[in-house]
Amino acid sequence: MIFRSEASRGYTLSAPATAYVGFLVAAPLLILIAYSFWTQTYVTLDKTPTLKNYSDALADPLVRHLMLRSIWIAGAVTVVTVALAYPIAYFIAMKARKKTIWLLLITIPFWSSYLLRVFAWKLILGFNGVMNSALMMLGLIDEPLDFLLYNEFAVVLTLAHAWAPFAILPIYVSLQKIDPSLLEAATDLGNSPLQRFMRVTLPLTIPGIIAACLIIFIPTVGDYVTPALVGGSDGKMIANLIQVQFGAANNWPLGATLSLIAMLSVGFVAIVFVITATQLGRRIR
Amino acid sequence: MTDRNIIELRGVEKRYGTFLAASGIDLDLKEGEFFSLLGPSGCGKTTVLRMIAGFQEPTAGTVLIDGQDMEGVPANNRPTNMVFQSYAIFPHLNVGNNVAYGLRGKAPKGEIDQRVAEALDMVELGGLQDRGASELSGGQRQRVALARALIMRPKVLLLDEPLSALDKKLREQMQFEMRNLQQSLGITFVMVTHDQYEAMTMSDRIGVMFNGRLKQVDTPTTLYARPCDQQVASFIGEMNILPAQLLGEIGNMLSIDAAAFGRIEIERNPNVATSSKDMNIGIRPEQLEIAAEKPEDYPSTVQGTVSNAAFYGENIHYHIRVAGAEKPISVSVPNYFHTVDFKRGDAVWLGLQGASVIDLGTDTK
Amino acid sequence: MKRPSTLTAYAFLYLVFLYLPVLFLPLFSFNSGTIVAFPIKGWTLDWYRKLGEQDTLIQALWNSLGVGTVVAILSTAMGLFAARAFVRYRFRGQRAAEGLVMLPLVIPGIIVASSMLVLFLFLGLKPSLLTVVLGHTFLALPFSVSILKSAFDDFDASLEEASYDLGVGVFETFRRVTLPVVSPGIIASMLVTFTVSFDEFVLAFFLSGNQPTLPVYIWSQIRFPAKLPNVLALGSILLLTSVLLLVLAEYFRRRSSASEVR
Repeated sequence: MIFRSEASRGYTLSAPATAYVGFLVAAPLLILIAYSFWTQTYVTLDKTPTLKNYSDALADPLVRHLMLRSIWIAGAVTVVTVALAYPIAYFIAMKARKKTIWLLLITIPFWSSYLLRVFAWKLILGFNGVMNSALMMLGLIDEPLDFLLYNEFAVVLTLAHAWAPFAILPIYVSLQKIDPSLLEAATDLGNSPLQRFMRVTLPLTIPGIIAACLIIFIPTVGDYVTPALVGGSDGKMIANLIQVQFGAANNWPLGATLSLIAMLSVGFVAIVFVITATQLGRRIR
Repeated sequence: MTDRNIIELRGVEKRYGTFLAASGIDLDLKEGEFFSLLGPSGCGKTTVLRMIAGFQEPTAGTVLIDGQDMEGVPANNRPTNMVFQSYAIFPHLNVGNNVAYGLRGKAPKGEIDQRVAEALDMVELGGLQDRGASELSGGQRQRVALARALIMRPKVLLLDEPLSALDKKLREQMQFEMRNLQQSLGITFVMVTHDQYEAMTMSDRIGVMFNGRLKQVDTPTTLYARPCDQQVASFIGEMNILPAQLLGEIGNMLSIDAAAFGRIEIERNPNVATSSKDMNIGIRPEQLEIAAEKPEDYPSTVQGTVSNAAFYGENIHYHIRVAGAEKPISVSVPNYFHTVDFKRGDAVWLGLQGASVIDLGTDTK
Repeated sequence: MKRPSTLTAYAFLYLVFLYLPVLFLPLFSFNSGTIVAFPIKGWTLDWYRKLGEQDTLIQALWNSLGVGTVVAILSTAMGLFAARAFVRYRFRGQRAAEGLVMLPLVIPGIIVASSMLVLFLFLGLKPSLLTVVLGHTFLALPFSVSILKSAFDDFDASLEEASYDLGVGVFETFRRVTLPVVSPGIIASMLVTFTVSFDEFVLAFFLSGNQPTLPVYIWSQIRFPAKLPNVLALGSILLLTSVLLLVLAEYFRRRSSASEVR
């Protein structure tokens, strides 16, 4: 044997991956933090530490508005996606005969390019798009509907579609883990199917629900493609503002500050959510 | 135990496609009885239990509980409760909430707390209401499952292999505790088990099942002494099964030629039929005398050689090769001050009395 | 037979919801009209024919293929060692390490993209295909680690011990026993990580500079309504490629669970 102990072999083999990810998480973060204390004056970077970026960002009503809207939209996306996904996960775990086929069917669309899927929704929801033309052809409407695209609804619908497998899989796993005799025990002790679901199935899938919510909520707050393509001006989110700072506005310190504020806000909301959900789960007896 | 029937199964059958998990089950269980369904795994005993509980619907026949037809009555509305093989302790609830589970919303909180405390005292877990489900030992889980079912005051308590997950010491202790609990409560217990000793030590009556059929329903002593066929005979305890010839019968006594053991008078077994001269007899290993000298006072003796000896602590088991018998004869001797201690190859004598021989009738199986 | 329940009906409706939007791209890519709306004017393959005439597109395709290949090799190599360490050995901080490797899945894309852009420029790396490779390898690692972890999970440790017991050394054993058994997992990981890189947009948008990958090229075309049919044709080809690669990956992943050693 080359390495003396199991532990040292474990460290050596996992080192490249962990070091790579660790470096690419920590180093940019440190530089972002540094940038957030500097100032951009036209083309030069002033490296005198200042909190001005933070006070500017927090005082700017646009930043506050976009941040709150990002969190609100991400929250709505999370709720809608998980609510739509739970029955599917339940169906696959508890009722479906060919579980693997169903899981495969659910995940295949997810492997097409995210950009293309969002783009497809833009084509469907557009004023002269697929949905309006189809409805008019069927004679259901006379005029194209103008509330389909370029608003929060379009963003929520598109993202609920994009995140579907991420919501289904964790919930499916937690449902799959439930010992069937627990459900029989609940029935045996007098529960109707609905009571049984509320008192046993639901509390036991709370970890899966929490995982699904986090996997969806966190990246959604920082989503760029969907608001840019289908959000219009009513659907723009914080990521679009950050992109502008790193692009056209060329104000990297402000962009870095906004990134950090977004991360902290997401982290805060996520922690509050996890604690609340866990507490609610404990209440069920 | 009363004479009133609490459970009646009439021609109950459960069919999965072409496979008959249970068929032709007719069974009456008395109020306050401890009844066991015994059989090898896959014999259909759990299916029968689950049909009583309402988790499976029979494909034919009727299940009556306390005189009421249970057809179409879902499990949550039946006056039965179950102790599951895995115990099915809700992992997200503590002990108190597990036990209180079935009463929530059906009784005021004060009464629930009181009944939970009583139920936990009954299974000797008093005061452990706040213990988490994951912190329980195997024996404690079993007791919580028992308390959770009994707090519902069921007319019948169903137990699916309740002791199989426990180690041997604990299992034996729980056997006595559960028997005592059942007797003091007077509730009918129906237990499924594959362990013949468990069934015999705990039950008033035992139903033995093979291949989906109920072979014999009797008290443990009758099952042991008067099994209805070879299958039951060799499933309940160990049994030497030998071919024999029927020579004649007087009243309920049979005169037979028991091959190596010669001519012997035995009692007729009312549970079997003897349709020809060819028949089988069974001899329990502990009913045979083994000695170095030819034993006195035995109507039948035979000489043999020890082919195997195994020390079990409380017993010593021997395999004895006997001329005229195909298989070696099993003999079990209590380890009583080491009065006997034979080695492989020793020449020994076996002694047999007519009262120790079980008539197994004509049975081609 | 039982009547299909509401739940089953819902499940099928949900599948329609999942597939319908994606299937509109190929449908309208054969439409001879330039407006994406019903009724379909006529059927044509023109848009596919015109794809080959566009040099920037061909260049973007080569860029994407190159990046995807390098990313697949890099992330699968690192993932292979890490997965083996996580499955076979127990060490302090293991859970933390496993969590760290999964982190790229949950960091918002815009933050990864912007912070990496800042980092690479700080290190003196100009946005180029190299920085895209570095970024995509970061994103692809969680996928390769989890695929290879399940490949090692199904691999009986006593096979290696038997090999040592028969006097074969560590590296020989890895080459002759471990590698052949987990090779379907390796292939699955390469296919999946390639697809992740091939489809990724936000990071490439920030890090590719003036060397666009295919999604970045598509993004630049989406804005011009006249180019729409082109984008549809290109998008349909990409969809088909991704799905084929993934089905292939799934096939190999299944084989890794069911494989026997010869």
